[in-house]
Amino acid sequence: MKQWKVIFQSAPIIIFLCLLSGGSCNRTVDAASDDAPAWLRQAASIPIQGYDKKVNAVVLVDDGTLKVEEDGRVTKGHRGAVRILTREGRAEARTRVIYQTDTEKVRDLKAWLIRPSGEVKKYGKEQIADISLADDDVYNESRVSVIIADNDAEPGAVFGVEWTTEDRSVFTQYPWYFQSDNPVVQSRFVVTLPVGWRAEAVTFNHPKIEPVVSGSTYTWELKDLPPVEEEPSGPRAGSLAASIAVSYFPAPNARSAAGRSFENWGDVSRWLTELSEPQAVLDDALATKAQSLSPRDAPELDRITAIGRYVQGVHYIAIQTGIGRGGGYRPHLSSEVFSKSYGDCKDKANLMKAMLKALKIPSYLVTIYSGDPTSVREEWPSPQQFNHCIIAVKVSDDTRAATIVNHPKLGRLLIFDPTDEDTPVGDLPDHEQGSLALIVAGDNGALMRMPVTPPESNRLERQSEVSLASTGAITGKIHEHTLGQAAVTARRELKHRPRADYVKIVERWITRGVNGASVTKVEPTDNSDGTFDLNVEFSGAAYAQLMRDRLMIFKPAVVARRDALFLTEKTRKHPVILDSQAYSETVRIKLPPGFDVDELPDATKLTAAFGAYSAACEVKEGFLIFKREMTIKSATVPVDQYAAVRSFFEKIRAAEQAPVVLARK
Amino acid sequence: MSPKPVRSLLLVLLLCAPLCLAVRAADDWRPVDPAHLAMKTPVVEKDADAEVIFWDVKIDDASEDLIFTNYVRIKIFTARGVETQSKVDLEYFGSHRIKDIAGRTIKPDGSIVELKKDAVFDRTLVKISGIKVKVKSFAMPAVEPGGLIEYRWKEVRGGVSANNVRLQFQRDIPVQLVKYWLKPMSGSPAGMNVQTFHGDVPRFVKDKDGFYSTSMTNMPAFHLEPRMPPEDNERTWALVYYSVEKYSDPNKFWSDFGKRIFESSKQLTKVNDDIKKAAAAAIGDASTAEAKLERLYEFCKTKVKNSNSPEAGLTAADRAKLKKNESPADTLKRGIGTGDDITMLFAALAAAAGFETRICLMADRSDIFFDRNIANPYFLNTTDAAVKVGNQWRFFDPGSLYLPFGLLRWQEEGVLALVPDSKESAFVPTPVSSAKTSMQKRTAHLKLSEDGTIEGEVRVEFTGHFAIEKKNDNDDDSATEREKNLTEEIKQHMSTAEVSQIKFENVTDPFKPFAYSYHLKTPGYAQRTGKRLFLQPGFFQYGNAAQFPTSNRVHPIYFKYPWSEEDSVTIDLPAGYALDNADAPQPFMAGEISKYEMKISVAEGRRLMINRSFFFGGNGTLLFPNTSYTPLKNLFDTLHERDNHTITLKQAASAQQ
Repeated sequence: MKQWKVIFQSAPIIIFLCLLSGGSCNRTVDAASDDAPAWLRQAASIPIQGYDKKVNAVVLVDDGTLKVEEDGRVTKGHRGAVRILTREGRAEARTRVIYQTDTEKVRDLKAWLIRPSGEVKKYGKEQIADISLADDDVYNESRVSVIIADNDAEPGAVFGVEWTTEDRSVFTQYPWYFQSDNPVVQSRFVVTLPVGWRAEAVTFNHPKIEPVVSGSTYTWELKDLPPVEEEPSGPRAGSLAASIAVSYFPAPNARSAAGRSFENWGDVSRWLTELSEPQAVLDDALATKAQSLSPRDAPELDRITAIGRYVQGVHYIAIQTGIGRGGGYRPHLSSEVFSKSYGDCKDKANLMKAMLKALKIPSYLVTIYSGDPTSVREEWPSPQQFNHCIIAVKVSDDTRAATIVNHPKLGRLLIFDPTDEDTPVGDLPDHEQGSLALIVAGDNGALMRMPVTPPESNRLERQSEVSLASTGAITGKIHEHTLGQAAVTARRELKHRPRADYVKIVERWITRGVNGASVTKVEPTDNSDGTFDLNVEFSGAAYAQLMRDRLMIFKPAVVARRDALFLTEKTRKHPVILDSQAYSETVRIKLPPGFDVDELPDATKLTAAFGAYSAACEVKEGFLIFKREMTIKSATVPVDQYAAVRSFFEKIRAAEQAPVVLARK
Repeated sequence: MSPKPVRSLLLVLLLCAPLCLAVRAADDWRPVDPAHLAMKTPVVEKDADAEVIFWDVKIDDASEDLIFTNYVRIKIFTARGVETQSKVDLEYFGSHRIKDIAGRTIKPDGSIVELKKDAVFDRTLVKISGIKVKVKSFAMPAVEPGGLIEYRWKEVRGGVSANNVRLQFQRDIPVQLVKYWLKPMSGSPAGMNVQTFHGDVPRFVKDKDGFYSTSMTNMPAFHLEPRMPPEDNERTWALVYYSVEKYSDPNKFWSDFGKRIFESSKQLTKVNDDIKKAAAAAIGDASTAEAKLERLYEFCKTKVKNSNSPEAGLTAADRAKLKKNESPADTLKRGIGTGDDITMLFAALAAAAGFETRICLMADRSDIFFDRNIANPYFLNTTDAAVKVGNQWRFFDPGSLYLPFGLLRWQEEGVLALVPDSKESAFVPTPVSSAKTSMQKRTAHLKLSEDGTIEGEVRVEFTGHFAIEKKNDNDDDSATEREKNLTEEIKQHMSTAEVSQIKFENVTDPFKPFAYSYHLKTPGYAQRTGKRLFLQPGFFQYGNAAQFPTSNRVHPIYFKYPWSEEDSVTIDLPAGYALDNADAPQPFMAGEISKYEMKISVAEGRRLMINRSFFFGGNGTLLFPNTSYTPLKNLFDTLHERDNHTITLKQAASAQQ
């Protein structure tokens, strides 16, 4: 019989957080006699001064090493030290080592904290947490070993870390970031190769960094670097930081077990083709399905659309194995994905490729970076620049769509992302538009710029019919018609939440413009042509304000007024990235009996290289007609034009806040 | 095999009849009811994307381990149902195990796709010091709208009992039938009890093989809403627990329990000579009971360092090195202690000063609303000092950071405190603070320019629970971080605001109000037309969103504590403009619960003076049934409307061009 006791049954994560943070679990502390290594002592003696008060920590040392053996084995090492300057800086007293379980081992990981008193605390095996890196995936071999010393750290302390891993992956390319979100005193990357091998590096976001070469050891180094800060509507930090990407190559004619080297994009295309091509298996079931979805006599675009829709409906589930051996680029067999009806991005793209094969429509996988169109750099041929997979479908001259690109050898290619279940064939998610992506087509593969759809393809058209009573009460009907990425946004709100939650979103949107509004009708329609319609009816008891029963004031932009500025800072360090979009709205307001228009907002007309805006009111036959239009082009606006961008949007905000004044007759 | 479209119920029945037999013969899956495959709409909630057909849990506490045998069948109605229900993660840790996972998908045409063994992945989420949190993950194959998925698994919790296990009867999707079987531990002197919460869960009745069972049908999905009571207070669930003695009268239980607490807490508040001396010194010349207790409270707050406070400047390592205080005398001698140590010291000092004191237990109302009719101390999880003043028990918690004298944490206000006694323990209600106690007092002296820019000095002061929350939010931040956070907060309401000269006051002071002041410049605050400027006098409410924007409500509405707001704003008007209209918005009140008033006056012809006051939660009214949602929403919509009230300035005729 088991012992009688009250048992702790609740979430185990608490225990781990407690252990990780060294918090209230009353663990004994390592002896104060633990000593820091000489390199760390030396780093800790680096004087720190003259930093802005916003700086929370300074990286004193950031040294990475890579030693490659003849047999392809790679030993990676790292030494880092950071001085904590503020309470927020305590979050820098942590380290993480990412590794792939199939090919890589963390051989050694330790850390030290030198407190301002000089006391040293050492962190070893007992304090290392090994964590799954992608816990949303059903399975993923990527893991991270971490040491977190935040709760032990304090301003003035120096946190140092040293780790080594052993890697047998197929990759022969390594990026190194010299800059981080903290200032860096010294950052260095050292690559040691077998005799006769060579290394090449490309530099990003910095003048070319030449290595110091000693025998077969290459050292790249930068000193005294400012922090990199991300800004709203700006590039991600990784696209801004000074960095290099190192590729190494075995000696000519050497027999080596080292992984695949890439001299150019053709090499990358060939390698990815080797990995993916055998996975596009077309069995009878899959072929039958493809043919049943797509009648032979239908127009080409309709046939592709039918297959695209089906694959979009395949549930996104990621199972990542063999990552260190290129598994992250090899889709599961298309027949398997079809029978299970789930897969990740490359599985879905590959399934579509196989189904199109059944229709005798050639297609190619496309690897892309999802999330930042400025991320991929042409000068570094490497599969490691990508994080996503989509598809390019060869189309005839008769097929028309905004997302067709011309490949010099493969001809017209329709670009499509079957993982994004809300963006139909003929459109492309905005975070992929304009990005460089690799068409995976063996010898014919090439890096290409993805299409950018024009603002008019991503348009919102709104028609509002409202009636104002002499009490200030309002009743209204709004019809919205959206296209392209505007329709995707509308569709996403509807599709991915329960109906009741969708209605709440609409209610919030209406009540933001009309306080206390009662929403009586919410009727969304997701159209088969990729557009989206929304009809809303509402009423509100006090939209317009009566002043001494003499004047009535209200804002003619009833809903979706721009009442906040997204670029709030007065100055800027990095370019502003604008997505292609457009809207137009006509609001017809039936004026209350017994009132005349006393004052209307001034008409606004703005034009800039990146867009245009206009807003104007007119009175016609008892109606106030308010029209506004905006067009924004896809653009990366340089920092020196920041004031103009900010002013453009601030003027729109002001225009949409301006009221109409009615006076009693 | 290509799936065939289902054309009629008859066809479904024809297809499924042999299937049911085959399934039963092939495995111990329960037969599939063809009606479930044919279902086009949910039974429990009309818009559900998926619905649990049945959810069975057998809990066997009779063996060495505690074993949960789970089996769930789910009908999928929409693509969103596919998205939310296809992936399954079964988390376990320590000596717990998950085993015997099996699953299958029954497609709309009745064909079956089994979950393959190799499609179940065992993952370690976190591993540290030999302890692992693991998860068994799988994705159900070939799931599509119209189909059914079902899976089962066993969870084995090594060497533990079912004591304090919670049984859930609601999920994030509706459930047609949920059934629990329970087999109690055998040979234990303790008997198993099941206490249900917030639903008419039928009593467990004797079933086969030593199990007891209960079930519920048509359970709606459970979703959180803003400003709702604690989750455990709303969802239907049951607590399993063992007790050696069986009490039919809860009063008798609490009386006996109170005696045990009384005895065990004696040592914790033991008085010795040092305590007596310290009490006498701290009290000094105070003569009233109130003044004496206040001095003792202040002593505990100021003379003993709270090791949990950032002010103590301790790292985790420092805290770990601290010796445990075994008695109030230890805490006094060392001058440092945990929050509980400090509260015990306060009780001992009060006792030394001649007060009758107790260590009392109470429930945290942010977890659940305590019911004394449940004879189980499970929910009494916080301790305070109770001191008898006259005939009344007063409650003190000096160990909580930033809690001023006379105030309890909001979680402990308006709850029942068990005041233990050797003879007659008693439940005593704790007071709820008044709306005046927790106040935001805001002042601004501003100047409006012709172009609509407003600029001036602003000061905001927080007292009571507001102050405690603000201090807790800010105490661990550097000055730079505090400034950054405040600036962001202001810009959320006034995106064009430029904030400078920020000063914070009393961030870690346990007694004084938390306050900050700053200089503000906001272009475009007022809107300008050809001859007028439009100005919102509710300066501190500028850009606020409505409190309750949605029309439907499922759960009751719940506020943490009563509060009040007092605003005093002056705005100097631009030259060349005169007040066209300075109507103040109409005041309103809701009985003793709430009152709002904004007064607008003009001084020296050019200075607008705005005084706004608002309070909510009068008489400690903080909980409203969902049937009161509409009037409550109307009250806050009215507040929002009045706060957005606009006044007009007109350009003087001579200034108009």
